[in-house]
Amino acid sequence: MSDFLANLGLGFSVALTLQNLGLAFLGCMVGTLIGVLPGVGPIATIAMLLPVTYGFEPVGALIMLAGIYYGAQYGGSTTAILVNIPGEATSVVTTLDGHQMARQGRAGVALGIAAIASFFAGTVATLLIAALGRPLTNVALVFGPEEYFSLMVMGLVFAVVLARGSILKAIAMVMTGILLSTIGADGETGAQRFTFDYDFLSDGLDFAVLAMGVFGIAEILRNLGLTQSRDVVHKPIGRLLPGREDFGQAVAPVLRGTAIGAALGILPGNGAVLGPFASYTVEKRLAKDPRRFGRGAIEGVAGPEAANNAGAQTSFIPLLTLGIPPNAVMALMVGAMTLHEIIPGPQVMTRNPDLFWGMIASMWIGNLMLVVINLPLVGLWVRLLKVPYRLLFPAIVLFCCIGIYSINRTPTDVMLIGFFGLVGYALIRLDFEPAPLLLGFVLGRLMEEYLRRSLVFSRGDFATFLEHPISAALLAVAAIMLGLALLPSVRRGRKDVFTE
Amino acid sequence: MSHDEPQAEMARLRARNPVNLAGGLLLVALGGLAFWLARDLDPGTPREMGPGMMPRWLAVGVALCGLALLISAFLVPRAVNEEGEQTLPLRGPFFVVAAILVFAATIRPLSIGDVILPGLGLAASGPLSLLIAGYATPEARLRDLLALSFGLTAFCMALFGDLLNQPIPIMPRALADMFPPGWSEKAILRATTALLAAVAVAAFLMRPRNSSDQDVSASMRDE
Repeated sequence: MSDFLANLGLGFSVALTLQNLGLAFLGCMVGTLIGVLPGVGPIATIAMLLPVTYGFEPVGALIMLAGIYYGAQYGGSTTAILVNIPGEATSVVTTLDGHQMARQGRAGVALGIAAIASFFAGTVATLLIAALGRPLTNVALVFGPEEYFSLMVMGLVFAVVLARGSILKAIAMVMTGILLSTIGADGETGAQRFTFDYDFLSDGLDFAVLAMGVFGIAEILRNLGLTQSRDVVHKPIGRLLPGREDFGQAVAPVLRGTAIGAALGILPGNGAVLGPFASYTVEKRLAKDPRRFGRGAIEGVAGPEAANNAGAQTSFIPLLTLGIPPNAVMALMVGAMTLHEIIPGPQVMTRNPDLFWGMIASMWIGNLMLVVINLPLVGLWVRLLKVPYRLLFPAIVLFCCIGIYSINRTPTDVMLIGFFGLVGYALIRLDFEPAPLLLGFVLGRLMEEYLRRSLVFSRGDFATFLEHPISAALLAVAAIMLGLALLPSVRRGRKDVFTE
Repeated sequence: MSHDEPQAEMARLRARNPVNLAGGLLLVALGGLAFWLARDLDPGTPREMGPGMMPRWLAVGVALCGLALLISAFLVPRAVNEEGEQTLPLRGPFFVVAAILVFAATIRPLSIGDVILPGLGLAASGPLSLLIAGYATPEARLRDLLALSFGLTAFCMALFGDLLNQPIPIMPRALADMFPPGWSEKAILRATTALLAAVAVAAFLMRPRNSSDQDVSASMRDE
């Protein structure tokens, strides 16, 4: 316990320096900004801003990038409540009851409870990361290549099960992602794979290039094809602080949402996206009068918002303890760490304790800042929503170009974001979801490496993955998840969750 | 009854889910291409995996998924609630990709085969590519875009070039040499930034304020 407090103390001493406070604030502001604007996601933004962080200390850089990520979760709910468009994918559920509350003149209460629920969930999740950090790191130290390989298989299976739409298509996307990761010189022999003798391909594709193309540019192309009306609420926002009755209704959903979101967020394979859906479903089931849901029930805002933020925070756990990024944003964090010559994984805590604990402490500070930023500045964010998309998207295109150019200073990278933008757009049009592709790409190289090592140890015997108990258990979980997702009844339920 | 049968036969042969048909074909083609490209890579043995093993397995896997999708396209109809736009807009992709390519080709000198493109630097390629991108929507308005393009480029030059010291080319060498010899790189950068910002302000002030009916209706749409 005293260890725990000493660590948190170290963390706060790092996070409370003037520079790091400033960077956390900057990250939260940028995050809220892009969260509020529909069509600009945290993935593209973090990819754009990676080169900006070159000049900072590693701790400061990661604090800022993390701030962008959870700031976007906050900002996304503002748009969901006021405009009925999810600013971020994770705030889809908030549109259901949040926007209804806004139409009843209770926008302020909805925003207030969303912020308070998120802050509470963020606080709990931060403590959870601090508490689980050391034990999980110890677990990671006994992991051999077999366990790592199986863990990644499980992560990818989760990504498949959690993807919207057809499971077959999601599997295809994961494999395509891994296939893309094999581009470049082979790690073991240096053989050129799929490089067509081009120099710029021999280091492999840059993750930022792929992410910016598939998530940034493709999203713009998709939005240009849609005619979307922005139904900004004209009613007054009303008071921001929820009343005693509102609090009474919201407490239990917030607690449940936090637990659900935190648990799902830890899972590799982007479990965090499922948190808000799961929480909403649970609240609807538990409610005395489920008909209130969809008509402005405060529980339908409080629970999912808590789950959303808790999941966003706890998804740092696999990255910080095992070195495995559970989603695309975390993969970009890996990129940021490698830029600063920090290898993510269990050794971060022992080798860079100031970075590990400083980042955790800054998350709590960032959450506090977000409550303070978001509530009084709501008017500003609403004004921002009036910036027409016809001016917004060319600006994003230019930012993407400059951002990606300044990472490696090669024009080919810029051309590749155009190419992957088209690829991503084609995938969207063909009902393929790009998230599993990105995760496959992120884990591909590591998986090949661990597979190769495992097979060297076992002299080519694949049974080794089942002979190691932890590895076998992880694979069993993966098989059960996949099997369950394929059951007809669960399939229908899964469809309901995602189309609700 | 009898003349209905050939029609039913036709319906059975026609894909019931054209989107999945296209998706399946794409995956099969991708898997096939990857397998063919990986033909010279040594797959090795499980005990000693070669560079070709993963690519081959994955190519086969992707192609098999594609095949399964192809078959399902003939068996399972497309769900009604799936996002289904029939038209394929070309304007958006064309202008956005053109803007990106123009930026890539002009930011610094680039040689493609025998052709050598002069690098224009950010001061020119920034506004240029933003203008092109802006026309991806039919709602584009030139004066707004002009103000935005110079303003945003000035902002990016101040942010990336001045504050963050990223070595992004600002202008062609020949133009930079025309500045008085005593000027440092930073001074040239700042002067250019100021100039661009001034142009942006001028373009913004020259915007017509609801001068024509068309603009009024357009601005009302935005509200």
